[in-house]
Amino acid sequence: MNTWHEVADLIGSLLLLSGALVALSGVIGLLRLPDVLTRSSAATNPQTLGILLLTAGVALRLRSWVDVGTLALVVFFQLLTSPVAAHLVARVAHRTGQTGAGPLLRDDLAGQGRQATGGEGPEPDGSGTG
Amino acid sequence: MTPPAPKVPRGRRLDVPLIAWLTVIWMLLWSGPTWGNLVSGVLVSVVLCLVFPLPAVELALRLRPIGILRLAGYLLYDMVASSITVTLRSLGGTRRPRPAAVIAVPLRCRTDLMIAATAVSVSCVPGGALVEVNGATATLFLHVSDADAPGKVERTRRDVWRLEALAVRAFGTRAEIDRIGADPAREEPGRDRGE
Repeated sequence: MNTWHEVADLIGSLLLLSGALVALSGVIGLLRLPDVLTRSSAATNPQTLGILLLTAGVALRLRSWVDVGTLALVVFFQLLTSPVAAHLVARVAHRTGQTGAGPLLRDDLAGQGRQATGGEGPEPDGSGTG
Repeated sequence: MTPPAPKVPRGRRLDVPLIAWLTVIWMLLWSGPTWGNLVSGVLVSVVLCLVFPLPAVELALRLRPIGILRLAGYLLYDMVASSITVTLRSLGGTRRPRPAAVIAVPLRCRTDLMIAATAVSVSCVPGGALVEVNGATATLFLHVSDADAPGKVERTRRDVWRLEALAVRAFGTRAEIDRIGADPAREEPGRDRGE
């Protein structure tokens, strides 16, 4: 019984540590990567994985079902919302033409797609062209 | 969490699964399943559903445990892989930036829910960022970095299709799964129209 608690504590600590490291790597990417879109992907993927590892570690250390449920809720909403945020950032970046240093190799979105999904507000200029 | 009753529109009427789900969240947020939490949760959920009615959404949702497990496993693997990619790239010093591209990926599924599920899953693909979703034509637009690398665009497109198949096999209806069985390459001739 007691050994199991110690094992769970140990694994929990390792998960907490690795989650923190993964989140840190995401932040370093956020600072060092060159443009909006790569930075945005650095801000979402490692952060989500970091949250996942952190909550798993916390769950192993708390070991109560109600807390595990709450943590599962945290993970659920994290998984659901961070792609949406990343998508909005990417969409704005594309519409304002901030898609990296050089011109785009190709842009399938250049002419179409906007009227069907956007529909709101005035049309921006032909952004992100090659 | 939702029984197969896709034809019921969500208007100003009580949606029992939604209320149950909101109540569960309420109880978790108030730290535990007590009777007081249950009663207040049901009250709050009913009031919320009456005051803020949701638009009618065709809920063509099925929960398939094996498919969900496979999707979760693949997403976890993808997330680890993309985290490693991002870490290596950010630690690897500033390289000369390679040209990126925005590519259109036509999907095979047609329901809004499946398109959304695929779009959310796609955010985990390494090196790809979702720029736009066109629900009418079921097309995703992805920003691909390093697009001049040979086969990179094709590989990204195949990744998206694989994620789509996994997502539909986890949550889709029978009709959508049948659609997934089709060859994605059949859309190939139309894809270069934005050239």
